[in-house]
Amino acid sequence: MTATPIVSPENVVLGQEPGRSVRGAASLRRRMARRDKESGLDRGIVSATEWRTPRVRFPLATVQLILLILLVICGLLPILWLMKSAFTPTQDTLTQPLAIFPHGATLSNITAAFGINIKIQSYFLNTIWVAAGAWVVQIVVATTGGYALSILRPKYGKIVSGLVIATLFLPAIVLLIPLYLTILHPLVIGSSLLNTFWAVWLPSGASAFNVVLVMRFFDSLPREIFEAAETDGAGPFRLFWSIVLPMSKPVIGVVTVFAIINTWKDFLWPNLVLPGGTDPSSIQPLSVRLPAIQGTTEFGPFLASLAIATLIPIIMFLVFQRTFLNGGGFGGAVKG
Amino acid sequence: MTTSTEPLASRQGAPRTTPRRRVRGTPLTWVRRGGLANLLFLLPLLGIFGVFSWGPIVESVIISLQHTNFVVTTWSDPIWSNFEFVFRDPTFWLAVRNTGYFALLALIFGYPVPIVLAVIMSEVKRFKGLFSVLAYLPVVVLPVVSVLLWKNVFYDAGATGVFNIILSWFHIPAQPWIQSTATAMPSLVLEATWAAAGGTIIIYLAALTNVPPELYDAAEVDGAGIWQKLWHVTLPQLRGIMLVTFILQIIGTSQVFLEPYLFTQGGPVQSTTTIMLLIFQYAFQSSDGGSNLGVATALSLMLAAFLAVFSAVYFRVTRSWSQN
Amino acid sequence: MKSPRRSIILAVAGVAAAGMALSGCSAGGSTSNGKTEIVVASVQPGASAESLAAFQTQVKTFQKANPDIIVRGEEYDWTGPTFAAQLAGGTLPDEFGVPFTDSKTLASNGELADLTPYISKLSYYKKFNPNVIDVAKDSKGHVYGIPFSPYAMSISYNRDDFTKAGLDPNKPPTTWDEVESDAKAISAALPGVAGYMQMTSGNTGGWELTSASYTRGGRLETTAGNGKVTVDTDIPAVKDSLAYLAKIRWTDNAAGSNFILDWNGMNAAFGSGKVAMYMSGSDVIGALVQNDAVDPSNYGVTTIPLESDSKAGVLSGGTVAVANAKDNPAQLAAVTKWIDFYYGQPAIDKASAVTQAKALQASKQVVGAPSIPLFDAATADLARSWIAPYATPGLLDNVKPFTSTIGKQPIVPEPSRHTQDLYAALDSVVQAVLTQENPDVDSLLKAVNVKIQALIDADSDQAALK
Repeated sequence: MTATPIVSPENVVLGQEPGRSVRGAASLRRRMARRDKESGLDRGIVSATEWRTPRVRFPLATVQLILLILLVICGLLPILWLMKSAFTPTQDTLTQPLAIFPHGATLSNITAAFGINIKIQSYFLNTIWVAAGAWVVQIVVATTGGYALSILRPKYGKIVSGLVIATLFLPAIVLLIPLYLTILHPLVIGSSLLNTFWAVWLPSGASAFNVVLVMRFFDSLPREIFEAAETDGAGPFRLFWSIVLPMSKPVIGVVTVFAIINTWKDFLWPNLVLPGGTDPSSIQPLSVRLPAIQGTTEFGPFLASLAIATLIPIIMFLVFQRTFLNGGGFGGAVKG
Repeated sequence: MTTSTEPLASRQGAPRTTPRRRVRGTPLTWVRRGGLANLLFLLPLLGIFGVFSWGPIVESVIISLQHTNFVVTTWSDPIWSNFEFVFRDPTFWLAVRNTGYFALLALIFGYPVPIVLAVIMSEVKRFKGLFSVLAYLPVVVLPVVSVLLWKNVFYDAGATGVFNIILSWFHIPAQPWIQSTATAMPSLVLEATWAAAGGTIIIYLAALTNVPPELYDAAEVDGAGIWQKLWHVTLPQLRGIMLVTFILQIIGTSQVFLEPYLFTQGGPVQSTTTIMLLIFQYAFQSSDGGSNLGVATALSLMLAAFLAVFSAVYFRVTRSWSQN
Repeated sequence: MKSPRRSIILAVAGVAAAGMALSGCSAGGSTSNGKTEIVVASVQPGASAESLAAFQTQVKTFQKANPDIIVRGEEYDWTGPTFAAQLAGGTLPDEFGVPFTDSKTLASNGELADLTPYISKLSYYKKFNPNVIDVAKDSKGHVYGIPFSPYAMSISYNRDDFTKAGLDPNKPPTTWDEVESDAKAISAALPGVAGYMQMTSGNTGGWELTSASYTRGGRLETTAGNGKVTVDTDIPAVKDSLAYLAKIRWTDNAAGSNFILDWNGMNAAFGSGKVAMYMSGSDVIGALVQNDAVDPSNYGVTTIPLESDSKAGVLSGGTVAVANAKDNPAQLAAVTKWIDFYYGQPAIDKASAVTQAKALQASKQVVGAPSIPLFDAATADLARSWIAPYATPGLLDNVKPFTSTIGKQPIVPEPSRHTQDLYAALDSVVQAVLTQENPDVDSLLKAVNVKIQALIDADSDQAALK
């Protein structure tokens, strides 16, 4: 998202050198696999010999155990607490937040969250829509642009890619106000894009990070393949569709993870351009809706809404763990 | 970045059956050489970047020199008056201080933690995945949800606030958390660190996995112990990524918005009003007598310029360190 | 400020349902197949489904009577900090409410639609108290809307908490000293509950500090004979009000532990039992029921205590229903019809009042929230008698401490110039006395004076240039 005040992942990967995120992910997986087998080829600071000495093993194992406990307390317990509170009557949560169901559990918070007042499911769906549309726009811009700049290479391509890279280092905040004005009065379309998904989708496409990432990936592809395809009479469109795209799965995967995580997490920009209109439940994502209703919703159902908004991404994370940890790690990195 | 020297485009769209002729100029030859195809492929990028990136960048410079409130727009008189307004606003200096304070605290608490944790985690032999998953969980939570949860539950300053209950177990008196000018900012940093550390840990873990094992083997041959290996092999190998995360964290924290906006609205007594929040208030909250987009844009350009200069100096200074 | 306006809307004798402000881009409903479509402010974001249902019932009744108009409701929530951007960004509905403090300025700036030709035809237009309708006029005398839901500042309290602390819920405090002693008693009896608290954030801190200062005879803005407005917040009434709050917080320890409370936050804290007594608009019960699940039988409200000072008075404000400046004449006519139907008629016409009260009652909304007269006391009493049979059970008794004494309190309007800016600047001062033990109040107030005076002087400079 262009207007995110949070550091986007772009620079991390760039700082790491070209294509590292793609190759790095693969090598991480390989190395981890190898290490699991204790093949001895791969290792960390502590050698196998050292690990066998009690003087090393005991304190190290203790530290690791403490770390595990800390991680459970910091990483897991807050989320478990939230899940618990979703099933706890409001007054119990307010008076004895750490007691476990002092007066029994209830489903009423959950029912209320899905009920007509909160309609959490609609906002969830909106969140998915926002992310899906932003993903499509980003993929289209990045792959077609990357293809043109890095494979077709028109003469003016250097200027274009220079201009793209120039925006890479620009803090998103500079764009906030002019971009907002652009959404209010778009050039060609005429009518305001406020309260339409386009207001989030279109600006998200202007991600220099995506374009650079894709360009570097394309640059690393063997050009002989393209030349061979050309010899067989493939034009630029067929080359793109039948050869380049199918080969781009890894980089598309990385762009996808970034696109979805960033759009999912963004607050400032959607909060500005999706104020609601006559039917907020048809347009606002969770990140905009939840703060808006915090003062007007009973506490129990509100916490249940927070829990629902948390549970689904966690399930997705656990299912696609590897993708997240390998690629998406950069997404939320170094925020504060 | 360029791996092949000859532009493929010069061959594109010119079927092999047609002898290639270096004819210049006519639109038809341009099309046949693939010029049109090139342009078509570039169109989404040019359109989106033109309207939503390059255009607004130019526009932001213009807006910063204007007095505008969505309705009426005039050139500022004198032309730099928006910048002057910012410098004369006592809240600006307060925001600079607050932002610096946030960045500093985040650096002290947030910067070393992921490095230490990642190094310990990388030595875990079993259930390593479990460690990563646990560390990464807070990152998966929607940031807005984290803030609302911490604000309304954990940071509740009453005796029934979760953190205060936990403190009472250790006979520590209840803390005001975000309800006091002294503790509000550290509280914001604590939540922000919790929310972000997992992502950084994963980056360091990846970097640690990429440390060539031969280096450790070699160090051991030289008789190095664990601490010496850590100091002479691991940390030097992490130096590059540490330098990058450092500057990224500075850039990120100097643009902190979500926490002060949702936790405290900049309070109490403006103790958490950051530069980003001030930009937002200038632009969209009329507490200074009408939205002033010009002043807001001027301040955002100043912030961008500061970050650009800071980064440039930083990379120049650290260049020699990162190359071993 | 969120609060007054919002609470306002909720109230008027029986018209509770409308919430406030949010908006979306409605910018001008279209006119299609001969029908005029208008988007009007409905309820607050997150309001209960019942309140929305009550609103929809009203819409249906209206559309039946006006088949050529289509009305669509939009969540609306007036907040000081965000209103300007909505207005300027063109994201407001065709009809919405603005507080008394802002309507005149907005009208004079050309940011609202001129409704003179439509409103002047309304039967009760001439009946308005001239001082009241004046808030909806610009400097040239054009009318931009009609005022509704006038409120007086009051003290809301939790009747159960009074009982639990050994106090009589039918005898709420009548002086500031009694407020303090009751607050102490409640906080002592119910640990974790704030005995008394005021709002502090989103401009409400300044709003309530100004109210407290009025009760001690202070005025924050004064107009000289030549029309020059002077801001002075560094006055005894303001400092006494701050010292009073600080005493409850630091000495009595009866202000609870959360000090960043805007209008919604405070109502939520009251609804969840964390605050037993607080300063509010007199009509807040509508919002408390709609948003915070407050049981009306457990709710009490009384008039704000007035000190013996001869200038002591109760702060009063209200909302003006206005139209979007971008609307076309057909829409403006339709908006006026809607305003008349929704806000005007129930105050003067028995049938309308009863229909509305029934709709609210059917949707479990508050009927009979206390307010102050829009036209004159007799008309207001009459309107109240029409809806009495439908009033929320127990409510009329519970609000008696307020209704029986409000008639004796002198009404004082809010400061007139840069009101929201003044309130916003005072927020920090209120937060300071609650979060720091010995803040330098004098210099904080002096800084507020300088800041707001500069804004006011800049206005008169501009006027002089013109």
